[in-house]
Formats: sequence, C-alpha cells, structure tokens
Amino acid sequence: MADTRRDFLEKLGILSVGAAAAPATARAAPSPAASPKKHRYAMVVDIAKCIGCQACTVSCIFENAVPPDSFRTIVSTYEVQEGERAAMVMLPRLCNHCAEAPCIPVCPVGATYQRPDGVVVVDADQCVGCAYCVQACPYDARFINHATQKADKCTFCAHRLEAGLLPACVESCVGGARIFGDLEDPGSTVARLVANGDAKVLKPELGTKPHVFYLGLDERLTGKVEGEPTLWRPQSDHAQETRA
Amino acid sequence: MSVLEVVNVSREVSWLPWAVQYFFLIGISVACFVMSLPGYVFGRNAGSGSFARLALIGALACGLVAPVALLADLHQPGRFWRFYAHPNLSSWMAWGSFFIPAYVGGLLAYAWSVLRPDFAAVGRAPGAMAALYRVIACGDRPSPRLVRVLAAWTAVFAVLMLLYTGMEVMVVRARPLWNTPFLPLQFAATAFVGAGGLVLLLQTVLRIPDARAEHTAGRWMLVALLATVVLGTAWFLTGAFGLDRSHSQALASVSHHEAWKFTALWLGAATLLPIALLWFRPIGLGWLVGLLGLHVAWMLRWTVFIGGQTIPKTGAGLYAYHLPLGHDGLLGIAGTLGLWLFVAIVLTTLIPAPPAPSSHAPSALRPAA
Repeated sequence: MADTRRDFLEKLGILSVGAAAAPATARAAPSPAASPKKHRYAMVVDIAKCIGCQACTVSCIFENAVPPDSFRTIVSTYEVQEGERAAMVMLPRLCNHCAEAPCIPVCPVGATYQRPDGVVVVDADQCVGCAYCVQACPYDARFINHATQKADKCTFCAHRLEAGLLPACVESCVGGARIFGDLEDPGSTVARLVANGDAKVLKPELGTKPHVFYLGLDERLTGKVEGEPTLWRPQSDHAQETRA
Repeated sequence: MSVLEVVNVSREVSWLPWAVQYFFLIGISVACFVMSLPGYVFGRNAGSGSFARLALIGALACGLVAPVALLADLHQPGRFWRFYAHPNLSSWMAWGSFFIPAYVGGLLAYAWSVLRPDFAAVGRAPGAMAALYRVIACGDRPSPRLVRVLAAWTAVFAVLMLLYTGMEVMVVRARPLWNTPFLPLQFAATAFVGAGGLVLLLQTVLRIPDARAEHTAGRWMLVALLATVVLGTAWFLTGAFGLDRSHSQALASVSHHEAWKFTALWLGAATLLPIALLWFRPIGLGWLVGLLGLHVAWMLRWTVFIGGQTIPKTGAGLYAYHLPLGHDGLLGIAGTLGLWLFVAIVLTTLIPAPPAPSSHAPSALRPAA
C-alpha cells in the first residue's frame, strides 16, 4: 500500500501543483490539472483486507460533509454460513464510476457527467434534484442530499485528487483494502491488479463497466444479496418506527 | 449458503408521493381527453353529450393540477427552467418537460374550441357574466375545422405523454420491477380505468342523470379493466415461467414478502370487483365503481413507485417506508387533492352545464330496460 500511495502521490502531485493553490469550489468541474496525459481513475478493493471498521465511511462523511443518515460509501457486512463454517464478509460499497454509467443519460439537464479521467460527478449548480439518477443507479450509490436537495454521490474525492491527495476512504483505510490509482498507467498497482484478471465487479450482467473492482469477492455477493435483512437502519427510520 | 446482513444502509424513497400524484393525474387527464374525442370530434355526441363534457372537465382538472405535483417533487419548483435551458435529450424526462406544456396548452385550446358555442350561448343570455363569455367565445360561429386541428395537436401530445411517462420508468434497468415493456401499457390501461371512474364519480357528484353517459363511462372502464387484468397476468406469467430474466428478478424480489403478496391480492381484488359490478349492473352504484376505478389507477402507481423503491438494489429484505405526515407525504397527497377539488369547482362553475340527455339508453350500472 505504501508503494501504491507513494507512486500515486508522486505522479499526481507533480501534475497538481497549480491545482493545489486554486480555491476549492462546490462545483465539481473538470480537473484544472488536466494534462495531455490521459488518466482513468479506478479503485480496487481487496475484500480479504477489509476488517469492516467503517473508518472509510466516517472519513468520507467528514471529508465531504455528508448529511446525517446518508452515505457516499459504506461497508456492507454479512455473516455468511456454509455448512458448519461461518465467516464475516465485508463489502465496501461506493459509486462504481462506471464507463457506461446509467445515471448519465437519464439526467434531464445534463448535470451528471463523466470527467475525462473517468470520475462521474454531479454539477450541483445544474442539478434539479429530480432523483432520476438515483433511480437509475443499479448500486444504490446515489441519494438526495437533504441539505442541498440535490443528487449526491462519491466523487472519488475529486477535490482531493486535484490537490494531489488520495480519496479520504483510501487514506483512512486501516487494512489497506482500498487501492486507488490510474488504469492508464500500466505500472500502477490498480492497473496490475485489474490486468491479473482476478478482480470482479458488481452486477457485471448490466454492462455498466464499473471501475471499482473487488478482489476475493464471492460471485453470490456481486448482485442483489439474498439473505436475512439488515439488523441496522439509519436513526431516522428507528425514530419513525418508535413514533409509530 | 445462508447470508445474514449485519450492516447495510437503508436508502430513502427519492421519488416521493408527489410523483405518484403526478403520474396518476396526468394519466387520467390524457385518458379523459381521449374519451372526450368521440363526442366532440367524431360527431358521436347524440345521447352522450354529458359524457364528453364530464370527460373534458376531468381532463382539464387533472391536466392543470398534475404539473404542480411534478414541480413539487423537484423540492424547489424554481428549478424547472433548467429543463428548458439545458435539456439532455437522451433522457425521457427531458422530453417530458417539452411534452407537458404542449399537451396542457393543447388541451386548454381544444377545450376552448369545443366549448365556444356554449360560451357564446351563455353570452347571448342576460347575466352579469354574459360580456365575459362573449369575449371568451370569440364569436359564435362553430368552427369544426379548428376543433379538429386542436384535437389532433392534443392527441399527438397525449400519446407522447403516455409514451414518455411509461418509458421514463420502464428504462430504469436498475429496478427490475420497473424494467418491463408491460409497464407503459399498464399505466395506460389503468389511466383509462381511473378516467372512467372519474367520469362516473363526477356524474354522481354533479347529479347528472344521464344513463347514456353512465353506460359509455362503464364501457370504457370495463374494457380498460379487462386490459389491466390481461397485462397483469402476462407480466406475472413472463416472470413465473422465466421467459425473461428481468421479469424473473422482479417477481423474485417481491414474491416471498408477505406485504407484497397482500398488495397483489388487494390489487387483484380491486380490479376484479369493479368488473363484477359493471358486469352485474347493480342499481345506483356508479359512485362506488367510480371510486374503485380511481383506486385501481392510484394504487398501481403507488405500488410501482413507492413500493418499487422499497426493494433494495443490492441489499437484502425491504427498505422500510413510513408515509410522512408533512408535505413530502400525506399533506402533499391531501394538498394535491385539495387543489384538484378547487380547480374542478372552478371549472364546473365556469363551464356551462352539459346538454340534457336525449335518449334513455340502458345503463351500464342498471338493469337494461
């Protein structure tokens, strides 16, 4: 992981010297650090290294001011039993930054778009809050932000990328399960891991070409998980149930 | 392998009851408009004049209120101008933003064109409002050609409205329950069920004893109900026999939940009961058949939109949904109904009474003479 981080920072930091000095804006615009070199950012999640601590969930919330009861990323946790054996399986979920993102064509005003580096973002100035993209995302990765009443999602921490930093979830991952990098760089860790062919994606049958890859993921967890429902729900649901 | 989901997130419903209200009202408006055409455009006015008039009132009231519900679902209605300033034409919703004003504008113009002779007649009679009616009528010469042109314009956009409202939901592959070609047809069929029901209800409330109109409304409703049953059965069989992966996924996602079984039984009963009532023609139950028809149209949309959003795309079980009492829930539904009631009262007050029935045809809801 240290190699990955150093490698990534070296390459991105040089490109982003100018960007780091630029004031941050709420609008997710194409990177001012754009260079002739083509990037395609992606994430590889090594399931075996995830301990389910939710540090990524918390750091994302703090980094991106995600409102209460909403999540840009979360680690779904399953207790899987097979015969006499039982094990905990962690499945970090976030926007998959799909190459064929189904959220983009449905947006009636073109507020959702894909940057040249593959990051799918929402132009908050343009978004009308119709939630069509929320419906179209097959990964439940989008939501309506109650503070802005607009669509919200993971941006791979685009503002951090522009400053030469890793996404907050990657930076805070205790077990080093989240590996971030540039697929266009054949020497990067993500490019090597994806090229090995062991990485899986969620719901491959939909043809969305996700760019969040998973190592060691059981096929049976790539789609809608069939099992006993969740034991935990956001606070507001519990509160409503209590009132009811 | 058994899986127990220990931690996951419950996503909220993001298309709120406002969306249900919009799809309900706009569907009924389009269906009412279509039902008014035989009487006003194709000259089948004799004996069913009040039917066409009631259908027109229903089309206007629902068509004027529906966009308000849609705007409310944007959380900030002032955002609507961006649909026109920055349209993304790969989105059905973007196309819909152009179809809505074209349809509602066409509907208003069509209504004006068919009502001109009645406005002129009121304008000729003594009364405080006579001058106003004369201005609105713009002369007293009927212009069938104008009616045909405006009816054609509105009919084109009425079809496009049915198409876009169905396709907008159907193309969402992320939700197998929505991703079916049956859905636009089911929306259309149940829109006619609700429209027939609305005409029957209006007839009861406005106390218009027109057996021919009642018969016509019942006939439209019966055909639409039978179409609803056929489409629902076809959807179920396509999923049950695994003829299509998406349909099988949709059925599998709901079939083992008791709440969904209850919903399916309720919807089935709500569809079959008005068929039985229309078939056996009990006396004086037009209001009940009307309410049941509206119930079918509304419940299908509630089940599809709100129920559909409680099915997790990745997680297990169902998301919990509790109808909020505020503007995003019950108050929104009641507010839409209240606005519809207000518009309906204004329309029935300003639009001259329909022509008296000219025949005594057998009622759909009364034993044939």
